Amino acid sequence: MEKESTTPPNWTTSSFGMEIQPNELNCAAADQLPNSFFNPNWDNSVDQSDPFESALSSIVSSPAASNAAAIPGRDCLMIRELIGRLGSICNSGEISPQTYVAGNTTTNNNSTNTSGYNTPLNSPPKLNLSIMDSQIRGSLPINGHQVPFHPTLVPFSADPGFAERAARFSSFGNTNCIGLNETDFPYGLMPGMEYGKMSNASSNQQFKVVGSQMGVQEKNKQEGNVVVKRKFIRLPRPSTPENAELGDSREGSSVSEQIPGGEVSTKVDSDSNARKRKSISRGKAKETPSTPSAKDHKTTVENEESNAKRSRQDEDAGNEKDSAKAKAKADSKAAGDGNQKQNKDNSKPPEPPKDYIHVRARRGQATDSHSLAERVRREKISERMKFLQDLVPGCNKVTGKAVMLDEIINYVQSLQRQVEFLSMKLATVNPRMDCNMEAQLSKDIFQSRGALPPTLYPLDSVMRSIPYGYQPQQMQALHGGIANETENRFPVNSLAALSRNNPSGQLPPMDGYGEAVPQVSAPWEDDLQSVVQMGFGQNQQQSFHGSGAAAQMKVEL
Amino acid sequence: MASLISYLNLEEESKRKKLWKTGYELRDRNSRPETSWRSESEQRIYSTKLVDALRLVRRNPSAADMVSSFREIREAADRVLAVEAKGRTRWSRAILASQLRLRLANNMKHKRAKVTGCSRPKRLEKKRFSPTLQRKARLLSRLVPGCRKVSFPNLLEEATDYIAALEMQVRAMTALTELVTGPPVDRLGSTSNS
Repeated sequence: MEKESTTPPNWTTSSFGMEIQPNELNCAAADQLPNSFFNPNWDNSVDQSDPFESALSSIVSSPAASNAAAIPGRDCLMIRELIGRLGSICNSGEISPQTYVAGNTTTNNNSTNTSGYNTPLNSPPKLNLSIMDSQIRGSLPINGHQVPFHPTLVPFSADPGFAERAARFSSFGNTNCIGLNETDFPYGLMPGMEYGKMSNASSNQQFKVVGSQMGVQEKNKQEGNVVVKRKFIRLPRPSTPENAELGDSREGSSVSEQIPGGEVSTKVDSDSNARKRKSISRGKAKETPSTPSAKDHKTTVENEESNAKRSRQDEDAGNEKDSAKAKAKADSKAAGDGNQKQNKDNSKPPEPPKDYIHVRARRGQATDSHSLAERVRREKISERMKFLQDLVPGCNKVTGKAVMLDEIINYVQSLQRQVEFLSMKLATVNPRMDCNMEAQLSKDIFQSRGALPPTLYPLDSVMRSIPYGYQPQQMQALHGGIANETENRFPVNSLAALSRNNPSGQLPPMDGYGEAVPQVSAPWEDDLQSVVQMGFGQNQQQSFHGSGAAAQMKVEL
Repeated sequence: MASLISYLNLEEESKRKKLWKTGYELRDRNSRPETSWRSESEQRIYSTKLVDALRLVRRNPSAADMVSSFREIREAADRVLAVEAKGRTRWSRAILASQLRLRLANNMKHKRAKVTGCSRPKRLEKKRFSPTLQRKARLLSRLVPGCRKVSFPNLLEEATDYIAALEMQVRAMTALTELVTGPPVDRLGSTSNS
């Protein structure tokens, strides 16, 4: 269920708006790399010598466009993947910290960590990462859970120390979020004490820091937090100079980035943080990149949480849900609430189909179960109304359910009437059709498809052929309705008329036609005359009658 | 265009099935119903089926009464549309059910069964709508076939799909009529009217 822990396909399928290239990541067990996550950093410091690096660089280059948002949750994934890669690289024996760090940049680190990376990095980072991910998600540390994640992790499957650290880390992160600040983060955190231990062999601290950061990020929806977090994910960078660098870069990035996309771009300079940024930015890209940082944080956090916990589908669904909710309430809700909601969703057993949606009260809202359900329902309704707004022409400016409903009703009625008109028209020309027509018809239908055509001409021809046995009724309404078809707009008067005249909403075909027939207004006359003169075959005779009848109808109007 | 014409030929069922699958996949992939209804393949499928259905209707020109022929064509168009919806939406099922019921009633010369549409009442939501909103919701539910007792959010969803399907239907039928009757230019009988 953990996306990160699952096989690469899950990762690739999960769409954070990025295009992941699993093939690129084949170098390590972590097949999935958030492209955007690596993007900004890889460009700078990629050592093309290593195939891993080249793969990463290619990955980086591809999602360049999708750096809009980064998901903090990705950091764990990123870290894990990085670790995996590193492990593979180390295993191959050709690892140079330089290559490994290529994604993370910071040349100085490379120089110092050359020796330290290989063995110690393999298992501890991975295990920690997995544990941290699980912790961050709120689930219990899974020692052996992440084993399939990377082959190198296998030997490291169980480490009580890691589990303990992860547990500590997660708790720390969850509880201490508010107090943590970017600058203080790497150093002041509880992990800080272990942070100091960050050496080649102690990549754990980094994870812890990351975890705490993630927790912090949850609570503090400031871009700084996000930035901080990203930096920590630098991961297998156990040396202290890295940490210092982290801190510096963190601050710089936090200050400079207000928008996740901006974060990504600015972080390019601070190499090591590139991965984190990418993950965060990617997560954010999944949401709206342009939304304010607060919103992004919330979504990022949610994404982060969701990433860790859910399967791909769940995540997408949850993210969508969260994003919808976040957008609806971003202004008033703290990020933490959203995260908590996410956490709650994620903490449930990770079965893709959720029997029911867990909703947690957001900050500042009533926690009554009724109001919660009401809120969910309202969100559902508003979401569907948005869809309808896109569908019904001319509803972009309309706000409010009542007017929207009126527009929708009018539109549905007009569409149904159009279908009736067209069917009548088809019926009139039916006898004239022979078998040869079908071939041509099908061919032409395929060719001449287009947007909703104005019903002027079909209406005219139909009016010609329809026997004028119907009294004009609600002509005004119909006229408005018909006119709207071409103008894509329903005047209010027609709206009212329609509502008045068609209480049932469903006009019988005959009545509809009867109403439609007399809808000949001045602007239509010319068209009618022209149509009449066109000579629609058998309709021609009727056209004269039609025009005469139309004129009579008009008089009646 | 031989490939296009071949769609009409029954021996080209495989191609049609490909279209079906494409449409099906498209619909599955598309979370929004309007996108699936707007796809070219969907419209192609609908046009094909519509032409076939209309061909059958045409074979019974005994319906001299224009009214009944109108109704037949309209029903054929709706039926094809409902079939293309593949039963995923309530309104499509209701259209098919009502038409079948009508036919059964006509054949058996019995009284027409009451068309109840959706017979599954939804649990009443706690949210209270204003009376005007409720009235409009009732109106909409009457417009969309088979959605009389549907809750408001589901009603909106059904309406979305129904509007998208109706749009496609109008597009296809307009193209069809234009083909049959010829575009309103001075092409007297230059179209397939022979």
